[in-house]
Amino acid sequence: MTVTNAETWLYKINPSLKLFVLMVLCIVALFIDDLNYMINVTMGVLLIFLCFTGHSIKRIILLSIPFSFIFISTSLAMIFFGKGETLWFEWGLISITEESFMRGLLVGFRALLFAALGLTFSLTTRPVNLFYSLMQQVKLKPKYAYSFMAALRLIPIMMQEFQTIRNAMKVRGFERGTGVKSIYFKIKAYSIPLLSGSIRRAHRIAVAMEAKRFTDTRDRTYYYDFGFSKYDQGFILYFIILLLAGFFLSIQFPLVSI
Amino acid sequence: MEQIISVEKLRMKFPGEESMIFKDLSISFGKGEKVLLLGPSGCGKSTLLQVLSGLIPNSIEVPLKGEKLKCPSSWGYVFQDPDSQFCMPFADEEIAFVLENLSVPKQEMKEKIQHHLHQVGLNLGAIHTSIDTLSGGMKQRLAIASVLALEPEVLFLDEPTAMLDPEGTKEMWELLKEVGRDKTVIVVEHKIDHVLEFIDRIVLFNDEGQIIADGPKDTILSRYKNEMKEHGIWFPGVWDEYVKNHAPVRKQPFTDDVPLIQVQDFSGFRNKEEKIKVNELQVTSGEWIVIRGENGAGKSTLLHALMQFIKTSGTYALMGTPIKRVENPTEHMTFVFQNPEFQFVANTVYEEIAYSLRIDKRPQQEINERVRSLLKVFRLEAHWGKHPFQLSMGQKRRLSVAASIVKDKKLILLDEPTFGQDSKNTFALLKWLEVYRSRGVTVIMVTHDDHISKNFATRILTVQDGNVIRDEKVIQPGCMEPKFLNIKGVSCR
Repeated sequence: MTVTNAETWLYKINPSLKLFVLMVLCIVALFIDDLNYMINVTMGVLLIFLCFTGHSIKRIILLSIPFSFIFISTSLAMIFFGKGETLWFEWGLISITEESFMRGLLVGFRALLFAALGLTFSLTTRPVNLFYSLMQQVKLKPKYAYSFMAALRLIPIMMQEFQTIRNAMKVRGFERGTGVKSIYFKIKAYSIPLLSGSIRRAHRIAVAMEAKRFTDTRDRTYYYDFGFSKYDQGFILYFIILLLAGFFLSIQFPLVSI
Repeated sequence: MEQIISVEKLRMKFPGEESMIFKDLSISFGKGEKVLLLGPSGCGKSTLLQVLSGLIPNSIEVPLKGEKLKCPSSWGYVFQDPDSQFCMPFADEEIAFVLENLSVPKQEMKEKIQHHLHQVGLNLGAIHTSIDTLSGGMKQRLAIASVLALEPEVLFLDEPTAMLDPEGTKEMWELLKEVGRDKTVIVVEHKIDHVLEFIDRIVLFNDEGQIIADGPKDTILSRYKNEMKEHGIWFPGVWDEYVKNHAPVRKQPFTDDVPLIQVQDFSGFRNKEEKIKVNELQVTSGEWIVIRGENGAGKSTLLHALMQFIKTSGTYALMGTPIKRVENPTEHMTFVFQNPEFQFVANTVYEEIAYSLRIDKRPQQEINERVRSLLKVFRLEAHWGKHPFQLSMGQKRRLSVAASIVKDKKLILLDEPTFGQDSKNTFALLKWLEVYRSRGVTVIMVTHDDHISKNFATRILTVQDGNVIRDEKVIQPGCMEPKFLNIKGVSCR
């Protein structure tokens, strides 16, 4: 589960702040209607995603594949079937107009932007750091923060158990069954032991946490301290400049004319 | 002696259950005592440990009543499952979690973490090490380190070595002896070989959760042997006694050797990494093969490779046919998992055993006969209508074996089948396997129990670092060459 990579300046940004800034950007992106502006902003975010996450190019390209697919599919749907006045091409149900083409690209870039923002965040933030920061900056209750962190530990364990159940089903000749009834059986055979196992495990972890004197008070000390630094200012500044410069460039030097 | 823990007339009942788990139980512990709680599985030892620590009712809400209930103010609790007692992903963060709970200032944390890791002999390259990369024994060491960070007066140990191999168990008790010297320690443990050196008092429970004996360990061990045997408690010498009373343990060897498995240059892969390598291996009918080796050596992986759960390379023939061309390998061989719950597919015990037969659409009459006879053999008749999950651990294990062998398999593979079982269930299971073996079924099992290798196995494979390094046949029936099996306190008859 753990991947090794170099830590770049993106890792040093306060996780809560990073989450907040990226969420604001997502909301801003919803209101950008100008294709040129959208392209500029997306390029600025892609620059960060491609160059500063500290992950290998190979991994980044691998992760980009599904998102490129989303970009193409969302754009194409709009391009082919969107309404418009200036007809470029028509074939059966498909009609490409200038307006639908531009609109399609806009929607595609928006999807790409969301993906790049999400990936940048998750690739450069350890969940533990995020929850520590949320407890310190956003005053999230320790009860919730530590529950989430404990739950994250359960995921790899559940994946292992799933594999074991699959093997067990093979032994019992389960795989050979066909038909609707067998699908129902399969869902039941997998989900009940997985769920019962997880519930028991979660309960055990909870008891173990209380045995280690965990209480839901806020006056606890923290192993990791998160404050704000010049990286945070830089991060905010980058996006302010991006939004302003992108807007300016889209007017002065538009890539496409609408 | 100053009493630091005591309960008087404790009455407790789990909601929804008919009988009380404790009825007027009184017990107390003095400062500095080292006590072992012994009893059959399901007698409530672990529950009592949780009551004594205050986890019940503070963390686990169970209604209870008692005239006096005195819990220690400073205590630590080590649980049996290494995987479900950590809430953080890294070793240093886990200990830091405890320190945070105690409001230790941040500046002091690093030093304390290092101190406690050193105390339990966990020498990690860097303290920021992922817990997932640690072995079971290392995880339990970490668990003890994080408990020591609480600076407890009392240590509660709930089968801390349940998931460890014999070597790890020994090391763990040596460590606990060291760190527990000036503390009060209350232990629940099934594998009592190494605990005995450590404790000075034993409390013995029966099935109903009543105390039948309480006193210095030597007195209890010598006077209550029969009670312990009756309740399936592992006591020193229980194996000797079994072997003496059931001689010869090993039935006649099965003589007409039919080759079952032939492998050559055989490798098993997990995530494209070679995890087990066998140069050559031939298995014939009627063999009882024990696979030995340290935790993580690749024992289970070998079984998984033979079952084709993982990718393999090399030649592997099952009864003369290459495995890839055998239509349903599971028709001929079966596998019993460590956790029986994973295997259950049906809603009742009866249907569970009948399941494989129903897939084959056998006639109802035949199914009925077959299931009934197996229910009888595995002592499950009384429970045929229950849901498999409602059974006790020992019953679940028996059911999983019964359901696996319902179709007369030629080969039974088992992954630590006696793990966590009391002595009664262990011997019962081994006896059945021996009956099947003497009829020509081949048994291949992974086990840490040297007594099984010694008394039941006909052949022993030793696995180390993903390689089968030794393959030995047992020469005399009933006894092995003493030179490669050296068990303390067990004589060769």
